[in-house]
Amino acid sequence: MKKKVFIGTIIILLIVSIFTFYEPTKKQLETSASYDYYQSSRVLYWGSRGQDVKNVQWKLRNWKYYDGKVDGVYGARTYRAVRRFQKKNGLKVDGVVGESTARAMGLSLGTTSRAAARKTSTAGINRKDDVYLLARAIHGEARGEPYVGKVAVGAVILNRVRHPSFPNTIAGVIYQPLAFTAVADGQINMAPGKDSIKAAKDAINGWDPTYGCTYYWNPATATSRWIWSRKVVLKIGKHWFGR
Amino acid sequence: MRDKRWILPTILSIALVLSVVWGYNQLTDKKQLQTNLTNDYQRLFYDAKKHVENVQVSLSKALVSESREQNVLLLSQIMNEAYFAQDKLSQLPVTHADIAKTEKFLTQVADYSFSLIQSHLNGEEITSKQREALFKLQEGSANFNSELSALHDKVLEQNFTVKNTKGKQKKKLEEANKKMFATSLGSIEKQMGKAPELIYDGPFSDQEINKKPLGLGNKKFTQSQAEKVARDFLGNKKIDKVTSFEKGEDISTARIPSYTFSILPKNTSKEMAIYIGVSEVGGKVVWMANPRGVSNINISPKQAEEKALKFLKEKGYQDMEPNYSLKYDGTILFNFAYKQDDVTIYPDLVKVKVALDNGEIVGFDSSTYLMNHKDRNIEKPSLTKEEARKKVKVDFDIDSIRLAMIPKGSKELLCYEFKGKYKDSDFIIYINAMNGKEEQILQIIKDENGTLTF
Repeated sequence: MKKKVFIGTIIILLIVSIFTFYEPTKKQLETSASYDYYQSSRVLYWGSRGQDVKNVQWKLRNWKYYDGKVDGVYGARTYRAVRRFQKKNGLKVDGVVGESTARAMGLSLGTTSRAAARKTSTAGINRKDDVYLLARAIHGEARGEPYVGKVAVGAVILNRVRHPSFPNTIAGVIYQPLAFTAVADGQINMAPGKDSIKAAKDAINGWDPTYGCTYYWNPATATSRWIWSRKVVLKIGKHWFGR
Repeated sequence: MRDKRWILPTILSIALVLSVVWGYNQLTDKKQLQTNLTNDYQRLFYDAKKHVENVQVSLSKALVSESREQNVLLLSQIMNEAYFAQDKLSQLPVTHADIAKTEKFLTQVADYSFSLIQSHLNGEEITSKQREALFKLQEGSANFNSELSALHDKVLEQNFTVKNTKGKQKKKLEEANKKMFATSLGSIEKQMGKAPELIYDGPFSDQEINKKPLGLGNKKFTQSQAEKVARDFLGNKKIDKVTSFEKGEDISTARIPSYTFSILPKNTSKEMAIYIGVSEVGGKVVWMANPRGVSNINISPKQAEEKALKFLKEKGYQDMEPNYSLKYDGTILFNFAYKQDDVTIYPDLVKVKVALDNGEIVGFDSSTYLMNHKDRNIEKPSLTKEEARKKVKVDFDIDSIRLAMIPKGSKELLCYEFKGKYKDSDFIIYINAMNGKEEQILQIIKDENGTLTF
């Protein structure tokens, strides 16, 4: 009986250890799935323009759903053609090319536009990567905070980029050693929620609820003695902000 | 029975062997990582020191040089090396409090050099004041460098490894940190604190950080007055509750000292509160954000623009002109610039975000406008359109030309704005309307969601 318990314990221990090994890979998957969601969040609808629309028109014309010009403008004809295609293929008939419709056509919206952009001198220049990194930092640091608290954390990071006492890039500020606890303990690698992505976009577009602050701390958990010598400008949610 | 007896020891010994192998692998992995990290930190430290040395040497050369060309070269070297040093220093495992002033010193050395390069290229001579500032910077970097040398010796002596700075227990780490970097860098910090403020025109200068708003007026508002402003701003919305954010004793150092409210409209959940900031002086709405989601898109960008313009008029922002727009999350964000005498004033910028379902204004930000807006006397340009056109690259394909005021450092410059294309990419080129200098080039990135400038 005792032996069985012992062997059982060992087996359980082994299983537990296997699970501990598996965890990080699972987390990574989550992050990349959310990144896909974020990347492909663009959809084509009436009024859309560009290479993606051309691709859709091209496909639809080859399959005889569409008889107009391949001009990259999503107009009435394209709209009707998309609806016909969706009806035939058992998709939701809404005349909007989202992820599922694009997949049914064998297209991927995010990547084709990137490939098209590669030709010009603006190739690869966009703010998506900045927004996503900022969103991860916000999620790691302030996911329990109300919307305004999330924007505030994003704004502090951006204010630091513009301040001489801090590194001059978003990544430099976020990954500065000992600057953010969420970076030190790896919480930054979690997949950011929709709210955090939205807050990151608003912060990058200029909203700053902190009026130029470059520090914040949580008085309940702050351990650094130095931070207590800072003066408070504003309190938002659980965080205190200072300059 | 006998057979079964050795099953357990076998399993146990296999488990033991496995765990020993596993443990050994972990140990070597850990050692490998530690060595990598140590090497990284070592490299950063040595690099930072080298870059600071180069800054110091180039600064002394610049002081001795009389030739303008030589000076420009030296200053660009200083700029580079100072930025490198700052970058590497900020990656060392030291708390920010211990290196904030040093980082600031290095950034400002770089920024200052850049502004000197610009004035050199404009044909201006270095003034005696600037020379004095350079001399002080040279002194500062020399001090800094000697401290780094002392630290370097200590590092060699104690065979600086990650084990010292990244010990197993937090206490050890703290102690090691205090011993190694904090004391030496801390003493540098103290000296940096004594360094005088640099007065020059650049994005990282003290005057830029401590800039005060110009467009507020001087009437003080109490909290209840400000709350009324906030309520009025939201128009006829039925309001359930207004809460004020607590301000600290340092509120006066904020860019625009303000009252901040969270306003809960009737019949909405707590997460859907609207946030709004009202300036203490002047009682202006600095920003507003309504984080509600938008699911259906019913109005066009053009209709949204009309709504935004009407909204601005209602709130007392006359003569605003929409410039760039960006669509995201079911909303569209417009950048409005003030227009005076048919000149677009870019520093006076107001952002308005419109929800594309019912055209409600869900975001507003006038902080840039309030920082910069003032009564301006716009001079007559001394160059004509045609004269300015000659200053632009010949094969630049121009779509539109107009006059605009653009910010440059703390100055505002009257320029001709040329929008157009060059080799399939969109650009805006600004030619100074007074002296024909090419002041700025912006690259425009367009996609179906809107326009961005870089």
